[in-house]
Amino acid sequence: MIALSVAAVLAVFLLYASIAGGGTPALAPSELDGRTDKVSLGGKVVGPIRGDQYVRGLRFRLRDISGGSPETVEVLYRGSVSDQFRLGRDVRVEGSLGNGVFVAVPGSLITKCPSKYAPEKS
Amino acid sequence: MPDLGRAALVVTLGLALYALVAGAWAASKRRRRLAQSAQNALLAAFATSLVAGAVLAVALVRRDYSFVYVWQFTSSELPMRYTISSFWGGQAGSLLFWLVLLCGYSAAAILLNRRSSRDLLAWTVPVLAAVAVFFSLLLVAVASPFVTQVAPLDGRGLNPSLQNPYMLVHPIFLYLGYVGLTVPFAFAMGALLSRRTDERWIVVTRRTTLFAWTALGLGQLLGSKWAYEEVGWGGFYAWDPVENAALMPWLAATAYLHSVMVQEKRGMLRVWNVLLVTLAFALSIFGTFLTRSGILSSIHSFTQSSIGAWFLGFLAVIVAGSLVLVFSRLPLLRARTRLESLVSREATFLYNNLLLVALCLTVLWGVVYPILSEAARGEGANLGAGYYNFFLRAFGLPLLLLMGIGPLVAWRRASLRSLGKTFLWPLGVGTVVGVALLALGAGSSIPGLVAYTFSAFVLTSIVLEFARGTRARKALGDPTWAQALGRLIGRNRRRYGGYLVHASIVMLAIGIAGSSAYDSVGEGRVARGDTISVSGYRLQYRALGERVGPNATELRAVFGVERDGDELGTVAAGKNAYTA
Repeated sequence: MIALSVAAVLAVFLLYASIAGGGTPALAPSELDGRTDKVSLGGKVVGPIRGDQYVRGLRFRLRDISGGSPETVEVLYRGSVSDQFRLGRDVRVEGSLGNGVFVAVPGSLITKCPSKYAPEKS
Repeated sequence: MPDLGRAALVVTLGLALYALVAGAWAASKRRRRLAQSAQNALLAAFATSLVAGAVLAVALVRRDYSFVYVWQFTSSELPMRYTISSFWGGQAGSLLFWLVLLCGYSAAAILLNRRSSRDLLAWTVPVLAAVAVFFSLLLVAVASPFVTQVAPLDGRGLNPSLQNPYMLVHPIFLYLGYVGLTVPFAFAMGALLSRRTDERWIVVTRRTTLFAWTALGLGQLLGSKWAYEEVGWGGFYAWDPVENAALMPWLAATAYLHSVMVQEKRGMLRVWNVLLVTLAFALSIFGTFLTRSGILSSIHSFTQSSIGAWFLGFLAVIVAGSLVLVFSRLPLLRARTRLESLVSREATFLYNNLLLVALCLTVLWGVVYPILSEAARGEGANLGAGYYNFFLRAFGLPLLLLMGIGPLVAWRRASLRSLGKTFLWPLGVGTVVGVALLALGAGSSIPGLVAYTFSAFVLTSIVLEFARGTRARKALGDPTWAQALGRLIGRNRRRYGGYLVHASIVMLAIGIAGSSAYDSVGEGRVARGDTISVSGYRLQYRALGERVGPNATELRAVFGVERDGDELGTVAAGKNAYTA
């Protein structure tokens, strides 16, 4: 009886896993390397921030948070941004690369808390 | 001052260590006096942890920037209420807060049970003490809130997103819930260690568990409200790892609250209950590990530090220790009775538990997936909202339906004919509501339609239960309907309290289904006086206001809302620029 129920739950899980496949890859700008499938991109905002968030879209560049690579990628994003969004902040957006510009899914931008509020790493 | 705080923490650590060692020795050798001494040590640890907490609170109120912690999280412009809430705004302070609550819960558990359940308490005290040792050790050796410096002129200020009224209380409730789960866990372990594996440990921890469960739930609701106001996406839950960290122990504790009733009434599921309470406690520690280690990227990026390794180690000890203990006591945990029928109260409890634990584990899988993916393939990956939403529907909707069925099915076995009679009205109302909603166009979302139909079914069955019970009491001679209802609830508070909780969970489900299945989004650009329409509502941009608050300049755009020409009130969209 219990075994049956557990099997049923597992079946639902496998059903989902087979339909939806794996998750969205989470990458840094330097790892993007021309791939054009849908990914979640995390990076530090480097300027300039141009455009507007609703009509034509916000344009900015992202660099690796680790600072290990000088490579940046241009991001085009539409939708709301939190009060925390500005130059130098760490953000994550979902989307895919097309013609050298990372086109983000509208509304997918999340901003991480600024590091000013975390103690310095020892 | 900082010396007093440091000394208080060291003494707390010493007292907890003593309670652990002396308590374990006393319990294994059956020394009653020594066991009492260990209990008293934990009571004293509550006092000394309060002293440490008071030192930090005073330093915050005085804005004493010679405390590094105070300097890090407050500033002279920060309003007093947020200055006080900085107590749990950073890592060291929140660990101290955790320790104070843990010692408080332990003291309450000792004082409430030292006469009535002495033999059970003997082994529970060392378990509680072990958890207190871990937290006080962290505070003494790894993350002290009492590190000092030459006082700078001003502090660095509190993270703006924490300067919100909901953030004053959200962490308190969350921690009350997290920490409270230690008590049933400690009693479960105490029962295994003392070989008193009857239902006693469940009975004595029932109130604490209910309190912790309620606090954890309230904490999440307050956190959702905060997210709705503060985080820029306008939602209330986003399956973020840190949010999931609070949801998982709540789901496990919900399953536990249900399954212990089967053990109380029928003596079944004994191993399962011990494992569930361990899961709930381990998940609360795992949640702290997630938020403190910085292993996952989250919008709620808390301070990241090496403390994660400590929590991981502690987690490993908890899981390994309790599993070894459960296996060594398996012969004592045999069920007294067997499941007689698949249509019985205990069977519906079993379905409920499987669904809740399945939901909890799929959330856990989603949370650890990025870590596993990174380890296995060398490439990080996230499971998106789609994954979670799928399982919320697959497991959550049957759970919703079960809430209406379970409480009305008889223990042991129920006949299908009596079930038919019981569920005639709920089924009828559910069907009518479903068809009516379909006619009104709710078919645009099948999960939403199903959720609403199930909700109607459950609410009807609950109302019917109250009505039947009241009528029966009236027939038995209660003079008025009000008195009959009052007596009905008073005589059986557990049962009718449970119905009330079920009804409120249905309200929650209605809200979640409504906002996720039937929301409409419209975007537009408006000048003053312009209107935009979103699914029948007209929003007119009326005014732009600016207010200089004590810690931020608040910009607000006020919109008038009307529908079919009726004025419904105003809403304001805004942005804050924080100074403090």
